[in-house]
Amino acid sequence: MKKQVVSVVLTAAMAAGMLAGCGSSASSSTSSTSSASSSAASTSASSAASTSSSSSAASTSASSEAVASTSGAAGVGEASGKYALVPKSAGNPFNEREASGFQDALKALGCSDDQIIVSYPDNPTADSQITVIQSLISQGVSSIAVAANDASALDAALKQASDAGIKVCTLDSDVDADYRSVFCNQAGVKEIAQALMDAVYDISGGSGEYAILSATSQATNQNAWIDAMKQIAESDDKYADLKLDEIAYGDDEAQKSTDQTQALLTKYPDLKVICSPTTVGIAAAAKVLQDQKSSVKLTGLGLPSEMKEYIGDDDSHSCPYMFLWNPIDLGALAAYTSVALVNGTITGAVGDTFTAGDLNDGNPYTITENSDKASEIILGQPFKFDPSNIEEWAEVY
Amino acid sequence: MAGKSGRTIDATPKTSIKSRVLSWESGLIVIFIAVLIFGSIVSKSFTFSNVLREMPKYLSELFMMYAMGFILVIAEIDISVGAIVCLAGTMTCFANRAGAPLIVQIIVCIGVGFLCGCLNGVIATHFQELPTMIITLGTQIIFRGIAEVSMGSGGSVSLSDTMGFAKIGGMVGPFPIAFFLIIIAAVIFIFVLSRTTFGRKMYAVGSNRTAALYAGIPVQKIRQICFTLVGTMAGVCALFLLATSFGANTTTGQGFEMDVIAMCVFGGIATTGGKGNLVGATIAGFTIVCLRIALGQLNMSGQTILVIIGILLIVSALIPGINQSVKNRRKAIAAK
Amino acid sequence: MNQKKSLWKIITGSREVSLLLILIVMLIVVQILSRGTFLTPTNIGQIFRNNALTMLMALGMLCVMLTAGIDISITSTLAFTGMIIGMLQKRAGFTNTFALFLLAALIGIACGFLNGLIISKGHLAPIICTMGFMYIWRGLAYVVSNNQWASGADVAKFAEFGKDGSVGPYIILIIAYVVFFIVMKWTTFGRRIYAVGSNADAARVSGINVDRVLIQVYTIMGLLAGLAGALSVSIYASAQPNMQYGKEMDVIAACVIGGTSMNGGRGSVVGTFLGALFYAVLAKALPLVGLDSIWQNLIKGVVVLAVVLINVLTQRTMDRAALERREM
Repeated sequence: MKKQVVSVVLTAAMAAGMLAGCGSSASSSTSSTSSASSSAASTSASSAASTSSSSSAASTSASSEAVASTSGAAGVGEASGKYALVPKSAGNPFNEREASGFQDALKALGCSDDQIIVSYPDNPTADSQITVIQSLISQGVSSIAVAANDASALDAALKQASDAGIKVCTLDSDVDADYRSVFCNQAGVKEIAQALMDAVYDISGGSGEYAILSATSQATNQNAWIDAMKQIAESDDKYADLKLDEIAYGDDEAQKSTDQTQALLTKYPDLKVICSPTTVGIAAAAKVLQDQKSSVKLTGLGLPSEMKEYIGDDDSHSCPYMFLWNPIDLGALAAYTSVALVNGTITGAVGDTFTAGDLNDGNPYTITENSDKASEIILGQPFKFDPSNIEEWAEVY
Repeated sequence: MAGKSGRTIDATPKTSIKSRVLSWESGLIVIFIAVLIFGSIVSKSFTFSNVLREMPKYLSELFMMYAMGFILVIAEIDISVGAIVCLAGTMTCFANRAGAPLIVQIIVCIGVGFLCGCLNGVIATHFQELPTMIITLGTQIIFRGIAEVSMGSGGSVSLSDTMGFAKIGGMVGPFPIAFFLIIIAAVIFIFVLSRTTFGRKMYAVGSNRTAALYAGIPVQKIRQICFTLVGTMAGVCALFLLATSFGANTTTGQGFEMDVIAMCVFGGIATTGGKGNLVGATIAGFTIVCLRIALGQLNMSGQTILVIIGILLIVSALIPGINQSVKNRRKAIAAK
Repeated sequence: MNQKKSLWKIITGSREVSLLLILIVMLIVVQILSRGTFLTPTNIGQIFRNNALTMLMALGMLCVMLTAGIDISITSTLAFTGMIIGMLQKRAGFTNTFALFLLAALIGIACGFLNGLIISKGHLAPIICTMGFMYIWRGLAYVVSNNQWASGADVAKFAEFGKDGSVGPYIILIIAYVVFFIVMKWTTFGRRIYAVGSNADAARVSGINVDRVLIQVYTIMGLLAGLAGALSVSIYASAQPNMQYGKEMDVIAACVIGGTSMNGGRGSVVGTFLGALFYAVLAKALPLVGLDSIWQNLIKGVVVLAVVLINVLTQRTMDRAALERREM
């Protein structure tokens, strides 16, 4: 009797839990929308106050038409379809900001909530993204913007999408050029690599050993930046005294990144600088260095809100300065690009121009060709975060 | 209708219509239909052709599910299948890049799976004291490790010639090719498990290994065959997975082992062995696939879908126990 | 001659001693290969600190495995509790370290209790039940996170406890291991766990409430997973929903290397400690001896499998030797 009652109660509890699970997911999606809009609001507030190199994603609605007419280049036109974004993974603030930028830009163009789809894969893997893309094809979306977890694994799924008449663009991390119209690049690969290399040069004082702490070994964008860094280091004699000890992979996990940083410190006693072009890696490394009061310094690409307490010029801070771009703007650019592709304003061919609301101060974007002859739109220059502006930007993203 | 052993059908417990209707499988059919109805209500895109088009990605896992059903029936477990998929996929990509003809690539893919499964089997039969969970935990790390090392620092490898695999992933009318093969595999596996002496032997091994051994059943041979089989099917899975992704990377097949075990359990196969059949597992597999497709079309976050599947898994595994205790109680009352 | 034989007997007769020897040999090899950079106080401290989570949870896993069970939901429990702790600090500004640890322990206990209840009363296979919860708690961790991390300044005060150089994590580890060592060896509770694992029916007949022991064991596991969740947030100063994803296998591997049998009834706290330490040293040593990081998983797998197989072989020799002696 007792057992039976217990098991019935358990089943009931499970069922209730299931309902609660569904309910909370629904509520979480609404709350994420609201938090997105509030963060965007703070963006506009702070960028208005500061010398904004990158403009805000929100508050574009009223001005977008006007800007388009004054600058002469085509605006993106009306947003009437369904626009989908597939971020790299759930549970990562960078991707969440990207998504909020995407959503706000589309709302500014007059999209309703039904027209905007942000579909996170269940794992940060290409496999999970394939199922998400397949599902979006079924839903008959007009465009898919995807931040790829693997350079080639999405090819088949994206080809199916194109065959079904869906416009495909990539952002953050690219796929093979044949399978998408255009890549929204956060900043040119060369520019990022140059900025990082110069930072290493500057922080190390021009000579010494340095190491790179990357994310996963198959992350397309990471590998592109690292390769470009190596090329720059070889091409210019200025960097001849810098020695790259190792490229370590922290897999974008806090623990593994911590372990790898500690291993670097033990293995290379003469290490001067660690360069970590990934937001998880740089935060983990910053903590290790600062906790150990190590003399090794850090630079790379990091989220200001995560890195606030590690950035400083003195010895008690591990990171003198670092770079990043505005993920909100990147999401917004992907949104404008999607709309422009769907409306036929651009085809993704090199030389196409369009204005993306307030982005780039209202100036038009031109599609350019990168070193692999693939078309891309470059959001802007990597932005430098140092002690003078970190407090301000930590509030934004 | 005397069987080989002289046993007649009469000797087995009669299956009344009532017990048929109340069986786990018919319950699953009801759930399956409910999922289909749910899907078509909540999502406009949940149409016949869309569901079939989205299916190949999931179907590849079903191939492994049948073999995993065998493994669970003999009261073993294999958690290395996801890693085998990764390794087989990686090696096939290399064969493809080397310009091997398609048939060679297919042989490589299934062959790697076969070898990996064989290795699991050899260790399992020669070190019988070890639970297979531990053996496959070790080989899991090794298989994925080999794949990682061979892929090198890029961590990913893609097909250079996708023609052949595009055909494998192709469609016949509205049906993906994999769909037909799944049906064929289902028929074969269900037949073997429920209608052959080999199948009965598996149940015997799963119910009581020692008793089976004394009854003259070649226990170790059966274990070896089952492990080899699940590895081989993992190779088949990799083949169809490649047809959807045209490449492999270090995360390929991650979590597949849990997915297929969940499908089997949902289909009524107990991990303690000797119970369940593949008809249930087939329906359960398709139910989970359709549910995932439906929830995916709602753009529900992948993690929330996993929560729902987790709850389903526990509830479905709990029900037989509740059923049993209800029965026991009835019996107790009748006895009074 | 006699002495030599008894030494051999000591080595093969006890898993702990043989494992300790393997560990010492490995340490010497690594020390030589890394040109003496391995065994430094900083490094040794880091080995314990970085693997505090695995080591802590291995104790719970030992109890679970002693009852012939398994729990693969632990890292999901860890992420779920860790995420709640992190979000409490970030959103509610709640920063009392002790209260947060207590809360984490309570959440962990609740999760573990649920596992134990369903496994014992619902007669579910432990792997199935915990697999379900593995999905559920992980998913809920994502729901709690709402795509945010709690990190850096959000958890700055809480992170003081687990900071590099703080003794916090070491104290928790030492207390946990001492308590478990005493409980498992010298209390009726500990002996009951062994009894249930060796033969559940016999235990039941001899008056042990098997269901209650099972619930207790999984609750302990949950408690440790919850504590590990808080510790993880403290050590890494970040709470992310994907934290420790897939690491439950490391915990199981540590126990198995330490001689814990998955069939129940066999295993010890000392063995578990050595097993976890072995795994930790291996993880730390591989990058230091100059191996490319892509080789690490492969070598880890080979070593794990080799240790397990060698264990079986020595066990066989021991059994055979015991049999021979009896025959004489």
